[in-house]
Amino acid sequence: MRLAGRIPVEPLDDERLTRIERRVVAGAADAAIRGQRLRAPGGALRVLIAAAAIAAAGVVGWAMRGAPASEPVAGPAPPRAVPAAPEVHVETAPQRSVVDIGDARIESDPDTAFAVTRPGGGVLIAVARGKVELEVGKRGDRPPLVVRAGDTDVVVVGTRFSVDYGDGSGDVDVRVTEGVVRVVHGPEETRVAAGQRWRTRAGLIAVAGDPRDAGATPGAGDPRADPRADAPAVEPRRDHPAVPDAPGVLHDRRAAVPDATAGSPAPARSASPPRPGREPASPRVAVRTDPRVDLRTAIRAQRVEPALDLGVPDPATAIARYYEIAAHRSGDEASQAFYSIAWVRYFRQGNGPDALGTLDAYVRRFPGGKEYRAALWLRVRILCLERSERGATDEACRAAAYTYLHEAPGAPAAHIAELLTQTQ
Amino acid sequence: MTAVLYVEDVLLVDRCLTGEPAATRELFRRHRSRVHGCLFRVLGGNRDMDDLLQDAFLQVFQSLRSWRAEASLATWIDRVAVRCAYRYLAQRRRRIATDPLDDNARGALTAPEAGPGARRQLARDGVARLYAVLDELSPAARLAFTLHELDGRSLAETADLVGSTVTATKLRVWRARKRIEATAAADPVLREFVAPAGGQVVPIHDPRDANSRPPSIDDPRDANSRPPSINDPGAP
Repeated sequence: MRLAGRIPVEPLDDERLTRIERRVVAGAADAAIRGQRLRAPGGALRVLIAAAAIAAAGVVGWAMRGAPASEPVAGPAPPRAVPAAPEVHVETAPQRSVVDIGDARIESDPDTAFAVTRPGGGVLIAVARGKVELEVGKRGDRPPLVVRAGDTDVVVVGTRFSVDYGDGSGDVDVRVTEGVVRVVHGPEETRVAAGQRWRTRAGLIAVAGDPRDAGATPGAGDPRADPRADAPAVEPRRDHPAVPDAPGVLHDRRAAVPDATAGSPAPARSASPPRPGREPASPRVAVRTDPRVDLRTAIRAQRVEPALDLGVPDPATAIARYYEIAAHRSGDEASQAFYSIAWVRYFRQGNGPDALGTLDAYVRRFPGGKEYRAALWLRVRILCLERSERGATDEACRAAAYTYLHEAPGAPAAHIAELLTQTQ
Repeated sequence: MTAVLYVEDVLLVDRCLTGEPAATRELFRRHRSRVHGCLFRVLGGNRDMDDLLQDAFLQVFQSLRSWRAEASLATWIDRVAVRCAYRYLAQRRRRIATDPLDDNARGALTAPEAGPGARRQLARDGVARLYAVLDELSPAARLAFTLHELDGRSLAETADLVGSTVTATKLRVWRARKRIEATAAADPVLREFVAPAGGQVVPIHDPRDANSRPPSIDDPRDANSRPPSINDPGAP
């Protein structure tokens, strides 16, 4: 019995195809946005978690009986460690209180209410009202910690920051003391670094200066007094020196890296590559520790892992050969070939945007590849060289540098990456 | 798959993951015909086809991050589509509406003066009857049979798509054939469709088709010759 090809497929007409395509594209866009958020449990699971949360809240409440509802911050008692539980509800009395949930230490203002759950190995802190300040330990490969205030998510993998949800009516104020967090508000996603602030009001996003200065700045807490309140942009703190003099400025930053592989913005790919045919400087040059170090020179001087040598002089032919290797081999060989494609595109063809695309793909495909760190550094080099030539470092460059710092904290170029993260 | 296609797929997927609509559209257009054909052959023509195709691609885009480039993108997408089809068959378990053929049509089949139009109509009826028999099979057996016999995929590829062993897949295909041939013995329209040459039903053990022999549990030719079970946990 051979019936293959004997069943005629009824074609879909253009109108139907267009309709399906439109829905699929819309659905894919939603999926892409959701993919950047912490995955929330499904409907049935939510019910189960809610039921478990009620039970757990009862257990925790029983365990906490006899103890005060909250502890004053200034008090001598150490922070209370809350055992891992499906959900913990915290409602503070008229005092500031401290709760240690293991993954983070949460200080909350008086009359603050929040709940802690652990969906999918991550931590979700849902703030109903009030203000919480968090000190989050490095989470490594674990899913991130998310603070949810209304429709705003603050995603963090290790940092210190605060989220103020006021009376729970919709205004959210995020202030970062150390590291970097990602604030997801509807379709918008903003990276907020140490010394920056993010605030919503009536759908508008505003960022002010250093949170440590906020109290001293007239009208700092009042969006009406902030002339930039309507500007949907991130404004870095002005008092950060471009050198690592500020104590603790970069502490924990490496653990709070935005996902630089999830598509660099288009303008970032216009980095100017070197002239075709020019090889990178191969000998390693020691990076000067002078605070006024010339970043451009330092980046250029840093050794770049070479491509796989096939002995093919023509770049296009070499890339075709690398394609073959990447497609038909696996493991280290495929990893090296993939990296080599990016290397040749950048250094021999002078095609920075394509090289970046290949590197993004490499970083996603070979997270444990031998050339992983080298690929991350090449991204930094491509993204940051043009910026440093203009005397400015943009978001994409900084994000790449953060990623490199996070993934290769002890690497020779880590110091340069650290400097790049501080450059405004 | 050529190397260029492989790298293009990797780059295209990366663009899709950033939510770029043009990339999403391109991926959909590249694979829609194959996925539609596969779903159509598995499920037959039905009014849910648009929704199924849409669901399959939505699943693809929701799971795209999990594609690790170990299989080709096309194979991975087909696997997702097959899972959608399985879910559809398992959840609905309904008979896909087929129009009964009246006795006049049966007579027309054997009439020597039957023209090309009548033949086409009978072929359509044959397809309808085939899917009516397939409706009575389990979803796993139907998937195995349709992917192998109708979509023309090898047993190994079919087993890979349904997430089962080659032996279990072969057993399902064989049982499905047996059922179809038994029905065809009493149904001239179906018999004509599955065995058009001379109206003879193709024997169950077709010597030309190595895959048509009854599967043996201990067959050393089966790479994965563990005892087949209809409740194979590897089934989708």
